[in-house]
Amino acid sequence: MLTRIKGGEIVDPVNGRLGKGDLWIEDEAIVEAPAGRRADRTIDATGCVVMAGAIDIHSHIGGGNVNTARLLLPEHHAAHAQRPAETPLSNAGWSTFQTGCLYAKMGFTTVVEPAMSPGSALHTHLELADIPIIDKATLAILGNDDFLLSMIRDKASSQMIEDYVAWTVGSSRALGVKVINAGAAAAFKENVRTFSLDDVVPSYGVSSRKIVKTLQAAVTTLGIPHPLHVHCNNLGAPGAADTAAATIAAAEGVPLHLAHLQFYGYGTEGKRRFSSEGARLAELVNSTPEVTIDIGQVMFGQTVTISSDVMRQFTSRGTASPKKTVIFDGDGNGGGIVPYRYRDDFYGSVQWAIGLELFLLINDPWRVFFTTDHPNGAPFTAYPDLFALLMSRDARNAAAANLSQKALALSTLGSIDREYTFEEIAIMTRAAPAKLLGLKDRGHLGAGALADVAVYRKGKDIAQMFREAAFVIKNGDVVVEDGAIKNYRWGRALRLNPPPDKAMVRRLEAYYQERYGLSLDWFDFPDSAIRRDEPFGEVSCNA
Amino acid sequence: MKALTFTLRETPPERLDLSPLTPEKLASVDKREIGKIRLGMSKRGLTVSDLFKVSGSDLKTIVFEGGSERFDRVGTGLVDGTIRVVGDVGAQAGRQMRAGLITIEGNAGPHAGSCMRGGRLEIMGNAGDHLGGPLAGELAGMNGGVMIVRGRAGAFAGDRMRRGVAAVLKGCGEYAGGRMIAGTLVVTGGVGRLPGYLMRRGSILLDRAPQELSPSFVECGAPDSSFAAVMDRYLVADGILKRPLLGKAPGKFGGDNAVFGTGEILFRR
Repeated sequence: MLTRIKGGEIVDPVNGRLGKGDLWIEDEAIVEAPAGRRADRTIDATGCVVMAGAIDIHSHIGGGNVNTARLLLPEHHAAHAQRPAETPLSNAGWSTFQTGCLYAKMGFTTVVEPAMSPGSALHTHLELADIPIIDKATLAILGNDDFLLSMIRDKASSQMIEDYVAWTVGSSRALGVKVINAGAAAAFKENVRTFSLDDVVPSYGVSSRKIVKTLQAAVTTLGIPHPLHVHCNNLGAPGAADTAAATIAAAEGVPLHLAHLQFYGYGTEGKRRFSSEGARLAELVNSTPEVTIDIGQVMFGQTVTISSDVMRQFTSRGTASPKKTVIFDGDGNGGGIVPYRYRDDFYGSVQWAIGLELFLLINDPWRVFFTTDHPNGAPFTAYPDLFALLMSRDARNAAAANLSQKALALSTLGSIDREYTFEEIAIMTRAAPAKLLGLKDRGHLGAGALADVAVYRKGKDIAQMFREAAFVIKNGDVVVEDGAIKNYRWGRALRLNPPPDKAMVRRLEAYYQERYGLSLDWFDFPDSAIRRDEPFGEVSCNA
Repeated sequence: MKALTFTLRETPPERLDLSPLTPEKLASVDKREIGKIRLGMSKRGLTVSDLFKVSGSDLKTIVFEGGSERFDRVGTGLVDGTIRVVGDVGAQAGRQMRAGLITIEGNAGPHAGSCMRGGRLEIMGNAGDHLGGPLAGELAGMNGGVMIVRGRAGAFAGDRMRRGVAAVLKGCGEYAGGRMIAGTLVVTGGVGRLPGYLMRRGSILLDRAPQELSPSFVECGAPDSSFAAVMDRYLVADGILKRPLLGKAPGKFGGDNAVFGTGEILFRR
């Protein structure tokens, strides 16, 4: 079927296409304007902006911890009756079904769950397969697991470590590797309660830095397109900016991605010893071209923090609101679920300002990514409001007027005039994520690209424009029309498929038999376990 | 002015959500629109006029002539006025009420008075399980006010209670005052197994020694207690009981030491 999206303002920075024009789609792909053929279907995009479907690189939408959060907070997904708007936490969590629908309505067509414990890969993929419309991908967590730490301690060859990383990524069907507070979860089991980049994991004698560097080297050598995704040490601690700075310096010319940098932007100035180091971190990112970051912007309201950083979550139990938590000191990373309400008080205002400083002071939209670390900084439904804050200085000033002025005085936000353009938004939320993840078939509107398209009706209210897309097309299907879902379909989970090394498989089989009395089959599964026609889409590694 | 009266036409064919029919919520509804309020919980979409004959106009005094165990959420969030049900009610009667008076002349279902914060809820018949208790995920149950069950209550009466007085006059099931945070639970007529299980603070007052307690309770003898005398006077003066409950020097168990351990079970010796 031939579709023509007519008369829209096309924003496609990858192919240098900016301005009014038509976009042609045949079946699942974007095509050049065909000569002498009539469209079977014409979509009128007059007065609209046409972009590729957006890609979210860091959003906790599935897996064990997400499900534990649902169990901890049953009061906000009462399934038996329509949920009244005033229910506590009514904006904090959703079913898989709603996750897919809400993302699609905003024009997002690919979302990455960034923290999949390899041991619960099957659970995660079953849950992701239940999210309709959008494509998904996962990052596998490594760096606190006994097998890897033992190999590093025993000075295993880099070849062997690469084989282990490749097996983990392949068997868990991941698109990349994430390391969460490297070594801290292992140290936590030895009653360590603070852990920094050069601290050493007891019993292993391995520093956090060593773990990060080892994994970074393995990921790079294996040709995994997405650089190692690092959740640094000391998340949320005043003075964490020093840790982030040290981690940025540790990239040493090799690509490295730092997740939710906002949560590390905290200095120790002022009466409360809590201030913004946003400008300093932004400057560091600007001067370190091998580093990419995502923000983890804080927006105000109720949410729930979900993290495999068990040390951090254990420390923040006291701030839980409502007062209940789950801390899981499990194998590998474990995790913690701590409900939290971001208030527009001094601390909340500092956090809010740091995120925006990072967005606005990092010059290169190819290296800064748009996230709230859903649901940790804010649920992803806050994205439209965040777009408005980035694209309009007036909106920012209006929002800042209601916050703690003492807090804002400790940041540089008030002096920043920058406003994001549509082109920069298209880079930050489409082109750059596709490049970062190695997804060559999306993020742009050139001929041959997958027909994932978002059409937004231009208006004065930027938030409204991004909240309800005029049209969203996924794989050539019109799935959203005027902000309402028109068509349900099943997306795929994007994965890498590096071939497993036979010797490593034998070694792992012996390890799991000896340590747990379990077969390695417990940690792998056939594709047919996911009851979809095509559960996975394969992405190739770099040569 | 005559009380606003809802006379039930016949047994409702499905569960009903009666939470829209409180003085506060009806105050913003035009008199003629009352009949159109949707009460049914299924796709059938039953409205007030399908179920009831409506008469009277005093919004502060609401009467249901006839009840059913399908009447859920009667008087939810009541802040003022009175509601009287001449018949039975279903789940969650008086949930989260803050003030006012609710009288149920028949039996009530589970979660009666769930998370109430104030006012008075009186049930003439029996009540179901989880009297005053929280729904899944909520941290505290009854949080203030007075709740009286003239009949029997089911299991978990006063579950996670935090403040206020709850009285059950003809006995209740197991785990009475389970996970209690604070407040006072009065039970005459006997309690089932393990009253006060995992209670942190608070008082459970009984008319006889409990039969089976969790082993983490400690026998405390019969200490002098001015609280017991004050409570006895209150219960009689308020019309909850006809004669004093505890008497002089009631027996005491302290617990539950599996948790905070500053709760007490007082009983007439």
